[in-house]
Order: sequence, then C-alpha cells, then structure tokens
Amino acid sequence: MGYQQLLLQRFTDPSKNKVPVSVLGVVVALFVLYNLVLNLAFEHLYTPQLASVPGVEFYDLGDFQGSADGWQREERILFCVPLRDASAHLPMFFSHMKNLTYPHHLIDLSFLVSDSSDDTMDSLVKHLREIQNSPDKRLHFGNIEIFEKDFGQAIGQGFSDRHGFEAQGPRRKLMARARNWLWTVSIKPYHSWVYWRDADVETVPPTILEDLMHHGKDVIVPNVWRPLPDWLGNQQPYDLNSWQESEGGLQLAKTLGEDAVIVEGYAEYATWRPHLAYLRDPYGDPEVEMDLDGIGGVSILARAKVFRTGAHFPAFSFEKHAETEAFGKMCKRYGYSVIGLPHYVIWHIYEPSSDDLKHMEWMAQEEAKKVEENKIRAVYDKVWAEGFEDVSEEWKNDRINIFKNTDTHKIKPIKVDWSGVDVVAKNPLVNEKDKDKVLAAFDPNS
Amino acid sequence: MAAYNKEKVLILTPVSRFYNEYWQNLLRLTYPRELVELGFIVPRSKDGDLALKKLEKAIKQVQTGKKENRFSKITILRQDTESLQEQSEKSRHALKVQKERRANMALARNSLLFSALGPYTSWVLWLDSDIVETPPTLVQDLVSHDKPVVSANCYQRYYNEEKKEQDIRPYDYNNWVESEQGLKMAEEMADDEIIVEGYAEMATYRVLMAHFYDSNGDQNTLMELDGVGGAAVMVKADVHRDGAMFPPFPFYHLIETEGFAKMAKRLGYQVFGLPNYLVYHYNE
Repeated sequence: MGYQQLLLQRFTDPSKNKVPVSVLGVVVALFVLYNLVLNLAFEHLYTPQLASVPGVEFYDLGDFQGSADGWQREERILFCVPLRDASAHLPMFFSHMKNLTYPHHLIDLSFLVSDSSDDTMDSLVKHLREIQNSPDKRLHFGNIEIFEKDFGQAIGQGFSDRHGFEAQGPRRKLMARARNWLWTVSIKPYHSWVYWRDADVETVPPTILEDLMHHGKDVIVPNVWRPLPDWLGNQQPYDLNSWQESEGGLQLAKTLGEDAVIVEGYAEYATWRPHLAYLRDPYGDPEVEMDLDGIGGVSILARAKVFRTGAHFPAFSFEKHAETEAFGKMCKRYGYSVIGLPHYVIWHIYEPSSDDLKHMEWMAQEEAKKVEENKIRAVYDKVWAEGFEDVSEEWKNDRINIFKNTDTHKIKPIKVDWSGVDVVAKNPLVNEKDKDKVLAAFDPNS
Repeated sequence: MAAYNKEKVLILTPVSRFYNEYWQNLLRLTYPRELVELGFIVPRSKDGDLALKKLEKAIKQVQTGKKENRFSKITILRQDTESLQEQSEKSRHALKVQKERRANMALARNSLLFSALGPYTSWVLWLDSDIVETPPTLVQDLVSHDKPVVSANCYQRYYNEEKKEQDIRPYDYNNWVESEQGLKMAEEMADDEIIVEGYAEMATYRVLMAHFYDSNGDQNTLMELDGVGGAAVMVKADVHRDGAMFPPFPFYHLIETEGFAKMAKRLGYQVFGLPNYLVYHYNE
C-alpha cells in the first residue's frame, strides 16, 4: 500500500525526486544481501585470473546449464541446421529466422552443407549477408559458422527414395554422422542450449525457442504436421519419430539382430507405440507435455549439457534405433528428461510422394482435358446458336407489325397442288440431252 | 609427417590432482606447440580448486613466456556436475564406487572433449594427469601408426624389494582383447551392470595388453584391442566427431574408456594397442 502510494507520488509530483533515490537504495541493499546469502549458502569456488594470458580460456560449466527463461539471462543458443539440396527452402527458412523473437545476438548459427548439387551454399551466404548487413541491428545473429562436408548418400533425395522402408537404416546412419559432425565441431563451453532445425519447415511460431525453453526440460520437441491438398484430407502428421516406448516395441527389438534399425511408420515394424503426432488435439492446451523415448529431428531444443556430456545421434544401431530416435533413447540412458508437446504444432512443407505425384499428374491431365473440351464446346455452341437461331418468338411480334396494315381477308390463300408428288416418275430425266439415259431399275413400290 | 602436414593435435587431460612431473613431461614433448591445443577439466570440489590453482600458475608461466614456446590454445573447464564424495567404506562397495567414479569421469571426459574439439582438429591425445613419463616424441610416435584409435601400454616404475633395484610393473589393465568368458559374463548380466578389470570376483580371462610387454620387442608392434584405458590414447578426431564418446552408462556392460572402444568399433573403427610402447604412471 505504502509502496504504491510512493510510486503514485513519483508519477504525480515530478519535483520530488527523493523517492526514486530511496527505492534505488532499497534495491541495492537487497542485492548486496542476496549476494551475501548466496556466498554463505554455497561453497565459494576459485576463479583463475587468465583474462590477460594469451590463448587461454577458463569456463565454469556450471554457469551454462540452461534455464527456463534463458532469454532473460543472456543464455547463448547454438542453432544447428543441416542442409542438403535446400536452396528452394532457404527464402522461407530465413523469413522465419528474421522473425525469431529470441534475442538474435544470443543465437550462434551453425550450418552444414553436404551432398548438394544445387546452389545451397551460394544462396545461404547471400541470405546471411543480407541479414548481417541489415541496418536493423536487432536482426544480426551472433557467431555464424558454415561447414561444407559430404557424407555420401546411397539413395536419392526424392520423398519416395528417402522414405522407402529399405532405405531407412543406412540413410538414418548417414544423417546421424552428418549431425554429429556438425555439433561436435561447433558447440562451445559457453553455450547453454542447442536447437536443431530442419530448413523445410513452412509454418512455425516466431516464439518457438522461448515456447520450448520455458518448459525447462533437457530435451523437448513440438508436434510436427504437414498440410495436404484437399483431395488428401487437408493435413497429416509428418513426424512419426517422436514416440513413447511400448511393450510391443521392446518385444520386437529383442527379435532383431544387433545392427537392425527399427523405423516407425512402416508396416514391416508394428510396434504399437503411442506417437506424439497422433495425440494431437487441435483445441488442446499447447502446454501439455508427454514423456518420449524416441524423437524426430525437425525441431529439437536441448540443454547444451546434454550434448556436452556425450549424448549424440548414434550412427550405429543403438537399442535397435539410429539417429534422432536413438538420441532420445540415449538421453533416457543418461537420465535426461525427453518431452514432446502433443498440442503445440509446427508445420512441415508438403512434399508429394510418387503415388501422390502420379495422382496429381492424372488430375492435371483431367483438368487439361476438361479445359480443351470446354473450348470445343464453346465454339460448337456458337456455331449451333448462329446456324439454328430460333426466331419463332420474334416472328410472333414481327408478324403483327408486318400485317397490321394489311387486310388479310383479301389475301387469297395460295393453293399448291401436291398431288402426285409421291408418285415416282418412270423417267424423271426430262432434259432433252439426258433422254437417252436410263434410270437403274429401281421401283420403291415393288 | 603429421607435423609436416600441419595437423593439429588436441591434448586432453582431466585433472583432479596436478602433478608437476606430468607438466614437465608435457613440456618435453617435441611436437610443434603452434599445432598443439591443450584442454583440462577440473572437478567441482576443493581438490579441483587446488589443481586449478597449480594449473593456472604453470600455464601462466608458459603462455606469457617466449612466443615460440606457447601452445596455440588452452581451454580450462570446471565440471558442472558435483564430484563424488570421497567414500570411506571403499572396500565394501568397491565395485559400486568404481562404477560411479568412472561414470563421472566419463562425463568429465565428454564435456572436455566436445568443448575443445574443433573442425580443424586432426588428432586427439588423451593423456591422464598421472602419466609422468613418456617418450618426448609421444605425439609423433602414436600418430605415425595412422590408426583410428591407438593406446600406449601404461606401466609404473617402482623399487623392487626382491631384486633390490628400480624396476617396472604393469599398471593399467584396461587395454584388453575380449574373451569368450567376458562375453558370456556380459550375456548373463542385468542391463545396468558393468564388467571391470582387476576384480577377483570378476575373472574375465581377457587377454590384457599389460602382460604383452617385451623389453626386446619392436616398440611399433601393434595388437588389435577391444577395450582401452585412458592413460595415453591417440584418437583420430573424426572418430570422436562421428559420435564415439565415453559412455557414462553401461554400454555392452562397459563404461568410460572401455565403453569408448566398444562404441568406436560399433561405428566401424579398429582399435589398437602398442604393447611395447611404454608410458609411466605416477608412483606415490
């Protein structure tokens, strides 16, 4: 009550400047007291004086644990983006990057461009230049590193190539190696968080980092869906790699060889696991959390200590999984929390499968056929309308006008003698020069 | 050859106690220092603080001295996790303590490794803080084998009372080749149990590299291993960048450096040891 009054006074009577000074005094006193309590409660650890020594850095890793409100504590995020033939997605990706609400100067970007045949690298550099040279300093990101390294790929990058069952194991292991390469060379002792993001996300809240971070979990992922054309039902879960382990999954794992890799979403491996994607309720509370064992890699926020202590994307079969799914499993072995948000959704782009493409080609052909048909019909209708114009209605009116001054009684009806018209002449060739010609013997009456 | 190619070497040492002999040996290494980065991690404890102070003093001396004697970069870290309380009933829970101690050591090694590893690092040398004597050409020697992982044989100098003279004896038994018995034991174990060498109740009959030392043998002799210790191990940086780390949890019933060897093998890398190439552990 008293405090409120003081504040009121301050704002209503600017001539009295004693009040803010006393408030400041209280704040300073509180701060000193707080530090005292801290020093008493915790063992004071030694900090070496190495700032002036060339080439030497000291970090207390205890200072970079990651807090739920990291953006208010100047906590740095390592933002990892693996890119492969991603040129087409970069404009969309950078439009999202510009909008990120997490303080940009606290975000260190790390890109890995691998096995690309398009101009991903040029496009990436162009976009980064544009942002970093922007007059608006709030757009500028922290440290940016770009790495180029090929890991080889046994299979193509088309949706069907990548998502076929047989291709999954080897493909996931290659992806894992690429991801590991990226984070192991770019994580620094001063990073508190690591965020993984695919470039081909179409719709994502600009507050994604804070939204995931404020849960204060070790590893956390949103739900990932994708929009679909109307004829496929508008929308669909995209990422089936986020799941909770099930008895069925564990049973299946026991029956498989040491190097087998279970992949979700294929009939070959029925695990009966609850998937994060299918638990979505469009009207559900976006704050709801779900414990996970395997996770997908489209958008992962993790405490940097998770990676620093060695949890990674296994490029070998780890508990019968590889890459991000095995990362989830490994984090559980460390005792880290692995969480998914079923009702908080980001949207992956829609890439049609080869069946979809076939269907879409057929639909396009049908559409073209219809257009062509309509063109022909238009011409036909026009010709028909002109050639067979129905004037009977007009004639009804015209007739009255034409005959209004005519005494129709005096008009003698013209009589036409139609008799004998149906009788076929024996010799209709009446012309003199044709008189020698003879009709074929044909008598319709006979 | 590696030095000729300007290959960068990262020497990593978890330090719970600072031995001046370790530091002096490190300074004797002949690999060009402009190609050498050092990384240290100290535990979050009074002991750690003590080691840190000594380390600080030693480092200041080198890095503020002549430019050509400076290391290209030195990273010092304090571990985030609380270090384990010194256990008094060691004998009762020796195995359990061993597991916790090594899990914590694994966390320390990983934190150090991934904080210090760069895209330009070619080799990572793990050198324990109690290794007080190595050949000065340690880096060149280990690198020359060009293997993904290669471990030196760790011995200790001592005074042999019987012979009445200075002698050497095997110290680190974590360099080994897997045995039938070892695999059988692993198979029968619960998921979270580990096998460690040097316990009578756990006879694995593994082939231990420590016993293969031949004083007249070629010091370049290689043997393939399944488990390694951390005393002096040279690792190609790409092995670590592929994800091979020190599991703080039982991985195939192995933990820390031995688990690391297993993980490297799972990633398709071969692991070797040099039975006739000795480095020496501190003796109290």
